[in-house]
Amino acid sequence: MSQSPEGFPILSARGVGKQVAGVSGGSGKEGGGLTILSDVSFEMAAGESLAVVGVSGSGKSTLLGLLAGLDLPSSGEIHLAGKCLNRLDEDGRARLRGAHVGFVFQSFQLLPSLTALENVMLPLELAGVAAAAEQATQLLARVGLAARLGHYPRQLSGGEQQRVAIARAFAISPSVLFADEPTGNLDAASGERVSELLFALNAEQGTTLVLVTHDERLAARCGRTLRLDAGRVVADGQ
Amino acid sequence: MANNLGHWRLAWRLLRRDWRAGELRVLLSALVIAVTATTAIGFFTDRLQRAMVGQSAELLGGDLLLQGPRPLALAWRQRAATEGLATSETLEFPSVVVSGDNFQLAGIRAVAAGFPLRGTLRTAATPYGAEQAVTTIPAAGEAWVEARLLPLLGLEVGGQFELGSLALRITRVLAFEPGGGGNFAALAPRVLINQADVTSAEVLQPGSRVSYISYFAGSEAALRRYRTWLEPQLEPSHRLTDVRHGPQARPSVGAALDRAEQYLGLASLVAVLLAGVAIAMGARRYSERHFDVAAVLRCLGAGQRDILALFLPQLLWLGLLGSTLGVILGFGLQFGLFYLLRELLPGTVPPAGWQPLAVGFLTGITVLAGFALPPVLRLKQVSALRVLRRELDPMPLRGWLVYGGALAAMGGLMWRYTGSAALTLGVLGGALAALLLLGLVAYALLRASRRLQRGVGVAWRYGLNNLWRRPLLSVSQILAFGLTLMAMALIALVRGDLLSTWQTQLPADAPNHFVVNVVPERVGAFGDFLAAGNIRSAGLYPMVRGRLAEVNGEPLAVRLPPGEEGAGAVNRELNLTWSSELPADNTITAGQWFGAAASGEAVVSVEAQLAVRLEVKLGDELRFNFGSGELAVTITSLRSVQWDSFRPNFFMIFPPGLLDNYPATYMTSFYLPDKRKGELAQMLRDFPAVTVIDLDRLMEQVRRILEQVTMAVEYVLLFVLLAGFAVLYAALQASLDERLYEGALLRTLGASRAQLRAGHLAEYALLGLLAGLFAAAGAELVAFILYQQVFQLAYTIKWPLWLLLPPVGALLIGAVGYWGTRRVVRNSPLVVLQGLS
Ligand SMILES: Nc1ncnc2c1ncn2[C@@H]1O[C@H](COP(=O)(O)OP(=O)(O)O)[C@@H](O)[C@H]1O
Ligand SMILES: [Mg+2]
Repeated sequence: MSQSPEGFPILSARGVGKQVAGVSGGSGKEGGGLTILSDVSFEMAAGESLAVVGVSGSGKSTLLGLLAGLDLPSSGEIHLAGKCLNRLDEDGRARLRGAHVGFVFQSFQLLPSLTALENVMLPLELAGVAAAAEQATQLLARVGLAARLGHYPRQLSGGEQQRVAIARAFAISPSVLFADEPTGNLDAASGERVSELLFALNAEQGTTLVLVTHDERLAARCGRTLRLDAGRVVADGQ
Repeated sequence: MANNLGHWRLAWRLLRRDWRAGELRVLLSALVIAVTATTAIGFFTDRLQRAMVGQSAELLGGDLLLQGPRPLALAWRQRAATEGLATSETLEFPSVVVSGDNFQLAGIRAVAAGFPLRGTLRTAATPYGAEQAVTTIPAAGEAWVEARLLPLLGLEVGGQFELGSLALRITRVLAFEPGGGGNFAALAPRVLINQADVTSAEVLQPGSRVSYISYFAGSEAALRRYRTWLEPQLEPSHRLTDVRHGPQARPSVGAALDRAEQYLGLASLVAVLLAGVAIAMGARRYSERHFDVAAVLRCLGAGQRDILALFLPQLLWLGLLGSTLGVILGFGLQFGLFYLLRELLPGTVPPAGWQPLAVGFLTGITVLAGFALPPVLRLKQVSALRVLRRELDPMPLRGWLVYGGALAAMGGLMWRYTGSAALTLGVLGGALAALLLLGLVAYALLRASRRLQRGVGVAWRYGLNNLWRRPLLSVSQILAFGLTLMAMALIALVRGDLLSTWQTQLPADAPNHFVVNVVPERVGAFGDFLAAGNIRSAGLYPMVRGRLAEVNGEPLAVRLPPGEEGAGAVNRELNLTWSSELPADNTITAGQWFGAAASGEAVVSVEAQLAVRLEVKLGDELRFNFGSGELAVTITSLRSVQWDSFRPNFFMIFPPGLLDNYPATYMTSFYLPDKRKGELAQMLRDFPAVTVIDLDRLMEQVRRILEQVTMAVEYVLLFVLLAGFAVLYAALQASLDERLYEGALLRTLGASRAQLRAGHLAEYALLGLLAGLFAAAGAELVAFILYQQVFQLAYTIKWPLWLLLPPVGALLIGAVGYWGTRRVVRNSPLVVLQGLS
């Protein structure tokens, strides 16, 4: 579903920085504000995968949020699916997300009041897809939860919840999938299963993947690794 | 992203889940309470009003009365018919009736079939015998006469008397006749005959004093239209009366009605306001618990409009559901109430109109929109970034949005009650200022209570800290509970005083008979008769009839055109009296009482309300016309008069000596218990010329109306109470998550359940105590103002309020809070901490 021609960047960051105002006493204090990210630049072609690694607090989630258009950078530009995020308003970015972006979070972020099936249907319904239920059912079967369609998140284990979240993320066949420590809350076995699924679906759909993790083994499975330290890129390679 | 159907389905699904999870309970129950209160009170007032108006109409004999010197014009009759009004025409005239040597001036009323349109004639087979409602009228050749006429004519039931050239046989004793008795002017014994006999009696000569009274009955709307059409065409000699307006509309009934309506309306507004507070609290919690949902939806591509499209329908459904439930409940409760009170209410209470349904429904939607919409709109502002950073709350709501919504809703509802934009704005502005001030007072109370902190155990300190840590929530709770308690206290207080005021105004031995037409020569003898019978009277007052002709040289007809409110009362003949002493229940409101020294001076004391209607003031000159002469006097004082006291009262009082040239009769009122009514016959035999009017029936009517009002008021109390509990429940819910979490933490750290429970008890008991103090102070203040301004009663400090309200508040709110927080200690800390992580 990647709309950009081969080689043309589907996601790019140019000199991206983020500062927040008024928090005193933090590290990297500049001009009264706290700098969380500074001067992050990279490009990704469709189908590529990128691991963002770094210690806790190094700015990984902040970068992911900026790349996905959940927030705007204080400096620099981000292009996603051919659009400059800086020039879109909040609703415009939401539309862009709805059409091109999938998410998997450390804390799953399923709606507790909806069943597994309804959670997966959600992005499809928001996009106005008519056959939402069928597509969602297929996806849940694909992640091995065909028997749990009517269960609520409360009734599912962490690993199962994360698989529902993966099904939901792939429901709209996103151009770019953002995953923020998807295995961070899971035990080893569940984490393994979840990452298997993530990479498998990613390969099947040819999705561009941005994976935030501090798990070096997981990072190694991505084509590229971006290492952050205190908001700066300290390594970008392979 | 505009698949609306999908949105609605999704919204429905979310709502269903929230419903099952109990998320909407507070919102819905508060809404249902508001709507139920409004609807039930609406229905109740509506029907009660109809019943009261109906009863008054029964006394009047119709919904609308037109009195004039000529028969009803054909065009006027036809117009009434086109409007669908029933019409009944009667004529009244004074005439001498004769039996053998006895003759007596009587008030004759000739009626046609169908009279009265409202109410019933009551007759008895023997004088002062058992009464019986009748639906017929006297047949031609028959007469129903008042009991007191019988001894005057020396007749019994079955006897015959002559009216003009006609002989009439007395077939029944007339006990009660709608549409009569309001005017003391024509207080000769009453005789009811068939209209067919009028012409054959040949008593009506050109120039005879005949009064044609037409009665109309029909729907309110038709009556209003007819009135509007008719009024401009009336001549000065016409008098139009209905239950609420006109000289025959008794002020006591009208005032009780108005008071009841205002009171019920106010009480239901209080219930709605309290429910609104609960709704706002519930909606806030609902909104906060949906921040995450909104963030995920935003993350998945939902725009702000999608968020609204998902959450507003939920609110709408909730509104529809709550309003429907409330309307049904209100309708049902109102029936139950009428059933419970069936003994006290008039035999048939007319069914209600549909308006209360619509009003209840609209109230529900309005309250929800005003109080719940702003917090829910906040969901739109939730940032998608919250999925990564949970602590990111949307911008707090702008104050004007929160309070603006609530104000607009309350303003809209109030406007419906008052019907005046200016009044609504005034009340709203006042209420707002008051609320701010009250908030400060509540905050001061809260601050002061911090001193308690020293010298209490750790458990209590924990509980009390809960209060001080969230000052805004605590202040709003003190306000909500305080206002609830205050409303309840006020209602109880005012209700009690309203009744006891009436009871003091109508003591057991309040005058129940008026006597007029005591001729001057027999005043002494009459006084002796009363004294001999040990009958205590209000004193004998002379009465001269005269017409007010000019004010400061300007003819009254010019000054106060007919048809203008109050014109009728002024244009007819007035009962004038003289006295050197100010009657006991009168008070001078302006100027000075002329006193004994003024004997013969050309001055007058005018009743204050009449002075307002006449637009006259101290020093103005009034000219009276007495038929046989004229008199000009200067106003030297204005008096307020207690018309409900059933003592002789007068619009105009002159000094003695001034009216000596004009024919006077004397009047008084006295109390005679039921079992002594037989003595009236002796009085009439000894003083054949006097006219006795029995007031018991009228007083019975007033008492009944008051009882109805009281019942209604007690009922309303229930809704205010319920709404108060809704606030309590909502506030409990609002802080429950935090409490659960903290409670679990504290227990993990070693606090015992008992300690936590003691903390909760301390917190809520103190809250209740403060609210009680607040309520006592508030009730005292409001009652003071009410008594001074509205009821015009003397005020005494209400000590019981201060003794009762604080402990009641502590007990009530302490108990409910203790019960409401039991969940905090019920589950193991582990479950709680996991469930919330
Ligand atoms: N809006 C904000 N205000 C203040 N501090 C912030 C804000 N956003 C992020 N931070 C801080 O920036 C740093 C980076 O956060 P984050 O991107 O969540 O790190 P990571 O995901 O690598 O653990 C942290 O110290 C965090 O507390
Ligand atoms: Mg992170």
